[in-house]
Amino acid sequence: MSKRYLGKLFSLLTLVLMFFILTACNDEDAEAEVEGNDNADKGEAAQDDVFSIDDFEQIKTNQGEAIEGGTLNFGLVSDTAFEGTLNFNFYSGNPDAQVISWFDESLLDVDENYAYTNDGAATLDVDREAKTITFKIRDNVNWHDGEPVTAEDWQFAYEVIGHPDYDGIRYGSDFTIIKGMEAYHSGEADAISGIEVIDEKTMKISYDTFTPSLLSSGIWSYAMPKHIFKDIPVADMSSSPEVREKPIGMGPFKVDSIVPGESVTFVKNENYWRGEPNLDGVTLKVINPNVVVQALENGEVDLVDSFPTDQYPENADMSNVEFVGDVDLAYTYIGFKLGKWDAEAGEVIPDPEAKMADVDLRRAMWHAVDNDTVGKKFYNGLRWNANTLIPPSHPDYHDDSIEAPTYDPDKANQLLDDAGYEDVNGDGIREDKDGNELVINFASMSGGDTAEPLAQYYIQAWEAVGLKVELLDGRLQEFNTFYDRVEADDPEIDIYQGAWSVGYDVNPAGLYGRDAAFNYTRYASEENDALLQEGVSEKAFDEAYRQDVYSKWQELMVDEIPVFPTVYRAVIIPVNNRVQNYAVDFKDGVGIYRYQLALTQEEAVTAE
Amino acid sequence: MPQVLLLSVLVFLMAQMMPGDALSGQIDPNIDPAAIEAQREKLGLNNPWYVQYVDWVGSALHGDLGQSFRHKMPVTDLIGQRLANTFWLAVATLILTYLIAIPLGITSGRYNDTLRDQLITGYTYIGFATPLFIFALVSLWVFGFKLEWFPTGGSVAPGLEPGTFPYIVSKLQHLLLPALSMALITTVNTVQYLRSEIIDTKQKDFIITARAKGAPESRVYNRHILRNSLLPLAAFLGFEITGLIGGTIFVETIYSYPGMGLLFMDSIALRDYSVVTSVVLLLGVVSILGVLLSDIILSIVDPRIRIK
Repeated sequence: MSKRYLGKLFSLLTLVLMFFILTACNDEDAEAEVEGNDNADKGEAAQDDVFSIDDFEQIKTNQGEAIEGGTLNFGLVSDTAFEGTLNFNFYSGNPDAQVISWFDESLLDVDENYAYTNDGAATLDVDREAKTITFKIRDNVNWHDGEPVTAEDWQFAYEVIGHPDYDGIRYGSDFTIIKGMEAYHSGEADAISGIEVIDEKTMKISYDTFTPSLLSSGIWSYAMPKHIFKDIPVADMSSSPEVREKPIGMGPFKVDSIVPGESVTFVKNENYWRGEPNLDGVTLKVINPNVVVQALENGEVDLVDSFPTDQYPENADMSNVEFVGDVDLAYTYIGFKLGKWDAEAGEVIPDPEAKMADVDLRRAMWHAVDNDTVGKKFYNGLRWNANTLIPPSHPDYHDDSIEAPTYDPDKANQLLDDAGYEDVNGDGIREDKDGNELVINFASMSGGDTAEPLAQYYIQAWEAVGLKVELLDGRLQEFNTFYDRVEADDPEIDIYQGAWSVGYDVNPAGLYGRDAAFNYTRYASEENDALLQEGVSEKAFDEAYRQDVYSKWQELMVDEIPVFPTVYRAVIIPVNNRVQNYAVDFKDGVGIYRYQLALTQEEAVTAE
Repeated sequence: MPQVLLLSVLVFLMAQMMPGDALSGQIDPNIDPAAIEAQREKLGLNNPWYVQYVDWVGSALHGDLGQSFRHKMPVTDLIGQRLANTFWLAVATLILTYLIAIPLGITSGRYNDTLRDQLITGYTYIGFATPLFIFALVSLWVFGFKLEWFPTGGSVAPGLEPGTFPYIVSKLQHLLLPALSMALITTVNTVQYLRSEIIDTKQKDFIITARAKGAPESRVYNRHILRNSLLPLAAFLGFEITGLIGGTIFVETIYSYPGMGLLFMDSIALRDYSVVTSVVLLLGVVSILGVLLSDIILSIVDPRIRIK
């Protein structure tokens, strides 16, 4: 081909391509306009607007009349296939948990503060004097194969998880506090002396220590069908077909078929103990986060397990779904490295000489950043300024009234001046108390579009009060690297930005206790020890007292600032208009259960 | 064999150098850190790399690639599950590649420097310039979501009985779009190659002879030129297979198609070392075999490079 031809051809192609692009744009504009007209009031809420979690309902509004039966399509949003360890006693990843919760469930229900109630498949009777709890499973609770769920099944779950050959990650403090558990775990005893089966449906557990934490999600409440697993060696259970291919549970739906890693179909369990489910079945499939919006728009899935909140502002007015939302069990925070972890002793050793050891420096850094604006600008209000280390997801324990430092650069400057961090050489950057150069190394994780600009914002905000903060290695750290280095107390790291999802139990000792490996700041103080101890004391069985203790603890953290919380987060879930009786992740305490889910028409509603 | 050994050491070392391990994602206050440490110890993740390597090679020689940390099942079973999907995807892509390449290449070569040829070469240039992952995303959007001609993810519709007719149809349907989007891009090499080969061949002396003998034009093209041009093409089959491996990683991720490519990406993300090393090793072996296959075919069709 001659050059001349090539040139012509090229310009022709360019023209064709441009034409395509232009028409594509036009199409989109036209569509956007139409949609805008359809719901003019909502349409304005696009892009730059700020949303608030208060505007979201936890429970989907029911529209129209429900039909009988129907199949719900559930999208499991994940860029990895689910692993297929389909048993509560063995799973490790969240995708598997999402699959399991359709066909199996906890024997115990909890209320909105994650304390146990008697509304579940089993009831509990607590004897604090004797340090025992007696559990009674309801008579109509059966496995999918018709066998009753018995006390032995529950005991069996404890025996499997405590077994020396167990290959999962669930053996923890819920287990070690049971009488005789350690002996069984180390292989010295053949049975757990503290667990006693009284009759077919009744089990009694005796504890060595008895704390209020135990009663808020400190009990392992998932039974295992002993009649199915009893002949399988514990080490082989997690890879057995009984877990991977034809798992059974006691939940509202039964597993019908599994395509490994991509989809699961469920049919209803007519004999579900709460009542027969409304739906005929559920189809679960894995949806890549890149295409979740399209899959929702064309009705391929009715709802998803999680929705990327950064895609929400652009899709807030999707016409065929309703977004429901709730406060996430999590917070983002800035942590200050204040010591080292002593692995031998299993406790933290605070270092009074640490670069960040001055509490006024930490408080000034808190005053220097505007987290309210961060929430609005970076997250459209779907994350918002945090004040304490117990997020509002525990409504009775989160203390709203605590006054935490807020954005106030003048105050920050004042604090730094008073503390002796002054700019001695006149370059606009403060030196440390001895007049030496002060550079604070900041570690932050990569991931998502906002990670980089957010880290840059914090650095600029701190520079505005004269503190020189540099990104560790000049770049963001990948998740695994980040936690490897934070965990190892890398001396290069002075401060870091992390996030915690908090446990169901409000007790923060696992994150901030002296003996907690997750206490990454390595902060410890006597007062902190005392309050954390008090929170799990005998007196704290009184709820008001416990709330008071944790209020004091939240106050202490605001005074001492080993970390400061930056933002709380929202979970947003889109639900197709045809779905009825859905509550965000069927959150405990709301009183809506999966078996009540219903549809108003056979086909999903699609976006116009 | 020495290549495979070298590959295994490299892969193993690189996997070890990845920060974190299969359990480091489990930073969750609901889980006891001691339980995680106990599992680490049990899985041998705390041993030095050479101990782990020797363990791994030792059992790999017995056909045991170890246990996946995350999937809690033997790696061989896991790969077995996924390999079938990728195999069919690769076969479908290869068939489509040649179905597209051969007619286009012939037309383009036979009528070179006409409008037809320019259109086809135009397409190949666009093909060269378009990154596969972008093209796959765009075709997913257009054909999957806008036109709804094809399913948008997975390898089969949920709830079908394996082995039944609807199951096979559904498999094919799920296969077609990923295979097609990959074929449309990878085929451009073959089109170009075939084109230049035909242009080259048609000026050879024996073609002039054939024409001089009065053979009809169709016979000249179908018998003499095409045959001679296709032979070297066959030799590139092996390289084509190597290229497919790279392609499947993108395509499977975009279409959530659970094959080896997706497994590879997942295991890296989850730090599932035993799976990463096994998959890379397997893909490496396939690549080496692919090149070997090319050499063998080449030596069969071209007597000049036969090793005596």
